[in-house]
Amino acid sequence: MEAVKKGTCAVGVRGKDVVVLGVEKKSVLQLQDPRTVRKVVMLDDHICLAFAGLTADGRVLIDKARVECQSHRLTVEDPVTVEYISRHVAGIQQSYTQSGGVRPFGISTLIAGFDPHDTKPRLFCTDPSGIHNAWKANAIGRSSKTVREFLEKNHKDDLTREATIKLTIKSLLEVVQTGAKNIEITVMESYGKQTSLALAEIEAIVAEIEKEKEQEAERKRGRHAATAASQALMAQANLGSTDVSGTVTPDS
Amino acid sequence: MEVSFALTGKDYVIIAADQNAARSIIKMKGDEDKIKALGSHLLMAYSGEPGDTIQFAEYVERNLRLQQMRNNHPLRPQAAASWVRRSIADSLRSRNSYSVNILLGGYDMAENTPKLYWMDYLGTQSDVPYAAHGYGSYFALSLLDREVQKRLVISFPSFRVKVVDAEGVREVDVDMSV
Amino acid sequence: MSLSNGAILPATLASGTVKKVIEINKFLLGTMAGGAADCQYWETYLGIQCRLHELRNRERISVAAASKYLSNLVYSYKGMGLSMGTMICGWDKTGPALFYVDSDGTRLKGDLFSVGSGSTFAYGVLDQGYHWDLSDEDAQELGRRSIYAAGHRDAFSGNTINLYHVREAGWEFIGNYDVTKMHYDGPGDVPGAPVGGYGYDVRIKTV
Repeated sequence: MEAVKKGTCAVGVRGKDVVVLGVEKKSVLQLQDPRTVRKVVMLDDHICLAFAGLTADGRVLIDKARVECQSHRLTVEDPVTVEYISRHVAGIQQSYTQSGGVRPFGISTLIAGFDPHDTKPRLFCTDPSGIHNAWKANAIGRSSKTVREFLEKNHKDDLTREATIKLTIKSLLEVVQTGAKNIEITVMESYGKQTSLALAEIEAIVAEIEKEKEQEAERKRGRHAATAASQALMAQANLGSTDVSGTVTPDS
Repeated sequence: MEVSFALTGKDYVIIAADQNAARSIIKMKGDEDKIKALGSHLLMAYSGEPGDTIQFAEYVERNLRLQQMRNNHPLRPQAAASWVRRSIADSLRSRNSYSVNILLGGYDMAENTPKLYWMDYLGTQSDVPYAAHGYGSYFALSLLDREVQKRLVISFPSFRVKVVDAEGVREVDVDMSV
Repeated sequence: MSLSNGAILPATLASGTVKKVIEINKFLLGTMAGGAADCQYWETYLGIQCRLHELRNRERISVAAASKYLSNLVYSYKGMGLSMGTMICGWDKTGPALFYVDSDGTRLKGDLFSVGSGSTFAYGVLDQGYHWDLSDEDAQELGRRSIYAAGHRDAFSGNTINLYHVREAGWEFIGNYDVTKMHYDGPGDVPGAPVGGYGYDVRIKTV
């Protein structure tokens, strides 16, 4: 559990007919190949997984999940549902809390995708204890509480594709100070249709969000100044008419 | 009584297999697909012991898919053939083995060349320009032309024919009346 | 067993009191041929596994998955003496489905199968009368008629015919028919059936 809290943040948001996974990427060292640092991985054609916590543990768990995806196709001739694989992943995590001599998986996962023959986006979350739940939007990892609170405030049902991506990035920006270059976004639009946003696209959205924030701040400042002025005026008037208290000052 | 053929061209591999599923004297099905697409550029025709064939083909299919998921990249035909051969060889030395004969054709996207491998249930593998399994091979290997249909005693009414080239895998219709 | 007009029709011969159609659940039926004990045991076992699948996944098992479960199971016993030739049929999300599964490990999807010692005789009738959009009555009559043919010609088949019809809402038991009675008198007043016996009348009739 502690390991999860230290891990980089990951966010999943479900829109009307899209589900988006966003993760905070640890800054890539100068000589590191950025392609080898991946935090959103495919489990099967139609399912993505993002995790927070110990990367090495994640890899093992992901491999087990991938094997199960193919095994399921082999035995029942159908791809797994998102719920099924989430339950399976949680089951593995649970089993590592129960027997002796093993260490629990130090990761939480967000599993997103589409069920076969279905258009409804799905999002599940698992944690080291083996709990799994469906979510409209959720965050795991570092400062996940802050991000979840942000999502709770801002998430609406039936978000469009653009709005879902924007909300994901916005919520990630709550904890990622370094901006676009440390954000990875994966969008799943329908069964088997999955795209990763290019850096330029993320940068554009980040810039847009920043601009909006700027405008908001500007407006606030304007409003603030206006109220301050009117308060000053009123205070003056008050001073002039009634002398209730000398301690009243504008902008207190 | 099964038969499968394959041959490579300049930039493609074409594979054909009969479509019969027979139990003793009864033909239970006439449209069975015995060629599996193992990836975007890889085809495998299989024949042999009933039960083993399907079990082995699906086992290979899922394992190669798993490797593709793990590595974000499919195996090249050469590597896939080695893996399949190894699976046959390992199973041969186990308590119950897969009695399956394989034709594995693929298009190598790295070298831009078509590749074809012939394998039998004993784990023999060879890299060949054209190949056949079953009784048809006795004719096909010497002829490998349109005479096949005339000479074949066990003339099958239809074949499933698939091509793999740089564009990937696709099925083609073949007029059997020629 | 044939699949037509979005409906599947298994008909089997019952020897004495043994039921040859095994009701796996409300939507799945299996047939027996070969070792009766093997079929009965493993298909009942399959029924248990299907129910467990349903409980675990909150969804009915598909016919493909159920037949594959059986196929994998008998394949794991390959070479150890199991003898089964079965058909698994039913209705799932994808519509009607029919699979042939045997103890070699063969599993075939199709829309027309016949299994057992009398299967060749049944095939003869089945093939000439089958069409994908047969009406319910005609399909039932074809099933009855083909199993009668097997019961009549095959020394190892006989006694009575059990006829089932599978639709979207699950299977329905149509009836049990005596082969000898079919020969002389026919099924009687049944929709789709001709007047008179399947065999006797035809033979003594002078044109």
